[in-house]
Amino acid sequence: MTLSYYLALSGLLFTIGLFGVLTRRNVIGILMSIELMLNAANINFVAFNRFLYPGQYAGQLNAIFIITLAAAEVVVGLALVMAIYKNIKSVYVEDYNILKG
Amino acid sequence: MLEYVYILPLLSFAVAGLILAFGRWLPLKGASAGILVAAWGFSQGLMLFVKAIQGTITLPYEMSIPWFSFGGNQATLGVYVDGLTIAMLIVVTAVSLLVQIYSTGYMHGDPRFKRFYCYLSLFTASMLGVTLTNNMMVFFMCWELVGVCSYLLIGFWFEKQSAAYAGKKAFITTKLGDLGFLVGLMVLFYATGTFEISKIQELAHAGMIPAAAAGAAGILMFLGAAGKSAQFPLFIWLPDAMEGPSPVSALIHAATMVAAGVYMVARLYAVYALSPIAMDTVAWTGAITAFMAASLALTCFDLKRVLAFSTVSQLGYMMMALGVGGFTAGMFHLTTHAYFKALLFLAAGSVIHAVHTNDMREMGGLRHKMPITYITFLLGTLALCGIPPFAGYFSKDEVLAAALARNPVLFAIGAMAAAMTAFYMARALVMTFHGKPKDAHKHDHAHESPAVMTGPLILLGAVSVVSGFVLTRHEMFEHLVNFEGALPFELHHVNHSAVALFSSIVAALSMSLGVWLYKARPDIPAACRETFSPIVNMLEKRYWLDAFFLKLVDIGDSLSRFMFSFDFNFLDQIAIDGWAWLTLKLSKIQGWLDDHVVDAALNATGTITMSAGRMARLAQTGLVQNYLLFVAIAVSIFAAIAFAG
Amino acid sequence: MTETIIFYMLTAVILLSALGVVLLPGLMHSALCLGLCLAGVAGIFASLGSDFVFAAQILVYVGGIAVLILFVVLLAGSASDKIVRQVNDQWLPSLLICAAFFWAFLKITGYFSGIPAAAAPSPSVRAIAALMLGDYAVPFELISVVLLASMTGAVLFGRRKAQ
Repeated sequence: MTLSYYLALSGLLFTIGLFGVLTRRNVIGILMSIELMLNAANINFVAFNRFLYPGQYAGQLNAIFIITLAAAEVVVGLALVMAIYKNIKSVYVEDYNILKG
Repeated sequence: MLEYVYILPLLSFAVAGLILAFGRWLPLKGASAGILVAAWGFSQGLMLFVKAIQGTITLPYEMSIPWFSFGGNQATLGVYVDGLTIAMLIVVTAVSLLVQIYSTGYMHGDPRFKRFYCYLSLFTASMLGVTLTNNMMVFFMCWELVGVCSYLLIGFWFEKQSAAYAGKKAFITTKLGDLGFLVGLMVLFYATGTFEISKIQELAHAGMIPAAAAGAAGILMFLGAAGKSAQFPLFIWLPDAMEGPSPVSALIHAATMVAAGVYMVARLYAVYALSPIAMDTVAWTGAITAFMAASLALTCFDLKRVLAFSTVSQLGYMMMALGVGGFTAGMFHLTTHAYFKALLFLAAGSVIHAVHTNDMREMGGLRHKMPITYITFLLGTLALCGIPPFAGYFSKDEVLAAALARNPVLFAIGAMAAAMTAFYMARALVMTFHGKPKDAHKHDHAHESPAVMTGPLILLGAVSVVSGFVLTRHEMFEHLVNFEGALPFELHHVNHSAVALFSSIVAALSMSLGVWLYKARPDIPAACRETFSPIVNMLEKRYWLDAFFLKLVDIGDSLSRFMFSFDFNFLDQIAIDGWAWLTLKLSKIQGWLDDHVVDAALNATGTITMSAGRMARLAQTGLVQNYLLFVAIAVSIFAAIAFAG
Repeated sequence: MTETIIFYMLTAVILLSALGVVLLPGLMHSALCLGLCLAGVAGIFASLGSDFVFAAQILVYVGGIAVLILFVVLLAGSASDKIVRQVNDQWLPSLLICAAFFWAFLKITGYFSGIPAAAAPSPSVRAIAALMLGDYAVPFELISVVLLASMTGAVLFGRRKAQ
């Protein structure tokens, strides 16, 4: 197994996530797609650490940080989603347009 | 007391205001205040006179305070007192006092009694200002104020059309002269750099003023004097000024204001003495005036106008005296003339008050009805004619002696004028007081005037009798108003008593002739009027001087009319209206350009901006995913660039 | 050989479940797929020998985030989600862009081709702990502050408004 396999996996996962972010109408779906992209990044970090810098752990540590930040992001994002849902009664992003002139 | 002399004019000004504001509640409607101040002023003047004669005060006295500064020059306010000032001061205050007393009777019951006294006080104040000031600027201001008072008082009965016109005529005519005065003052200031009389005199004595400048200033300022003192050819206003109340005629148009011109020439005598041309101008103008006015008085039937012409004639004498170098003679004649001419006017006023007409042809035989008036008028007449030992004899003889010393022609003119003076005064006396009453109705209603009017008459009569005699004793007047300036020529010594004898005889003969003609043979003057009708006509037309000035006005009128038509037809119609038309057309073009070019450009800018905005708005969908797509596109473009690089 | 088999199996799981997350109309299914996908990623971490990251992935992602999302889907989801179209109008340009991105990723992958693993993986917990409390102490503490702030924010948003 060489590095490029992992990178290809990560790239595919990121692309799927990107597609989800760009096309899903449901805001929760978008959040989930973002998680996919973050995971793709994590795979890259860990893979580079494993193949290019053995014996060092900064890449893994970054992955840990990203996981933590993702948790925070999801918590805040979902809280926002719930707050918006309470007001607008919709989970579709096209309806979140009250700032449009 | 010399230190407080400045209070005199200020107090008179204050009293004028006081009468105007509170006259209604003062005794005699304010007349009392005016009389009190005049009396006090007269007492002051008399004290100064006595002290000056005794030599207990040093003259000249000057006091001044800084007023304002202009450029590097300092204007001052102050008083300048010398013998000339004191002589004039006495004349002004004495005549003013007596006239104000007299007027309480004469103006009794007039609806504007209060205002009359206000004007009189204002006049007195201004005249005192002219007399006392140390500064030609203030002199000019007071001079003009005097003119205003004259205007107000001539037109005092302005309901009468002729009085209103006479006031205007006097004001405008004197103003014509004042223009020259103002210019002359400027020339003088240019030459000396000061307005202060004492400094001007100093410079003149030191010969620091060029003769040309002195001559120009003198002649120009003499124009003002000619206006004020009714000299040829500006004397036309004085006969008409007789429309005013008789006390006013006595005070302003006989004794004081008309003497202001003479006083001015005397004040700046040092300047005049520098220029023979200016002196000659003064002398000849005076002589011509004296002769012309005397001749005009011959045919006049209006009592007051006869006196007015007489005044003009006597003022001519004074000017002539000054012009020939007889400074003392001129001022002496001014003093004595002030008294007896005031007397004559007040007496005439008394007559007019009694018979309610000015026309001598409707009088006659008033001798018995008004004995006091008659006697005083007679005294005044004798004084004026120069019959010894009355006042006029002394002063007029000195004038004629001075003229003879300078120029026999001037003396001849003066003597002829003196003869005519005696004649027309005799005529007036006879026509008014002697003979049969011509208007029985008016004669029956005539009565002697009240004591307030006859009192001043008697006083003035007494002064007229004695003043000449008293003032010439020990050469009192000469000591007071001597002029030690160097004259540009030598005065010949003439035999004084010979001149006196000659003129007395001429006057007496002429007067007798007048009395005889008008008393015994009134048909001869009437026949003369027929025979010499062209001359009489000329005299009645006043040598066509009025017509001359009217013609001047007409020429001015037609000039203005031409200017108006030029202005209206050419400037207004073509230049201004044409310009307006052009402007209108240009504006229309500009308006079109504005609408179709400038506004269109602006609108286009707006439209383009709006459509650009509308297009830009299309990108702003408000959809998050849209934006993200753009971000992704941008990133992919950058990536492509990176890879291509 | 085993390693390769495991890798392809995990890859299949990850990609299929990821596609499920993105494409399935029902949110409930998407959320379940997400859990599966995250678990697959955890497997990849394990295969790469990163034991601590594997543990964190299972604990935080699978155990925390996926379950949290599941709850939210239960709260905010509705039955109509299955009928209503879940894909928006810009799917075609998005697809093209995604293709471009994937092409770019493949290109990058090409640069790193043929790099084998240098050594066998070893347990890394102790080393990571040393890093966290050593060189990376400040970012570690900052992360904790971020977590605290986000928790506070979440509580604030979720709170029922005071009447």
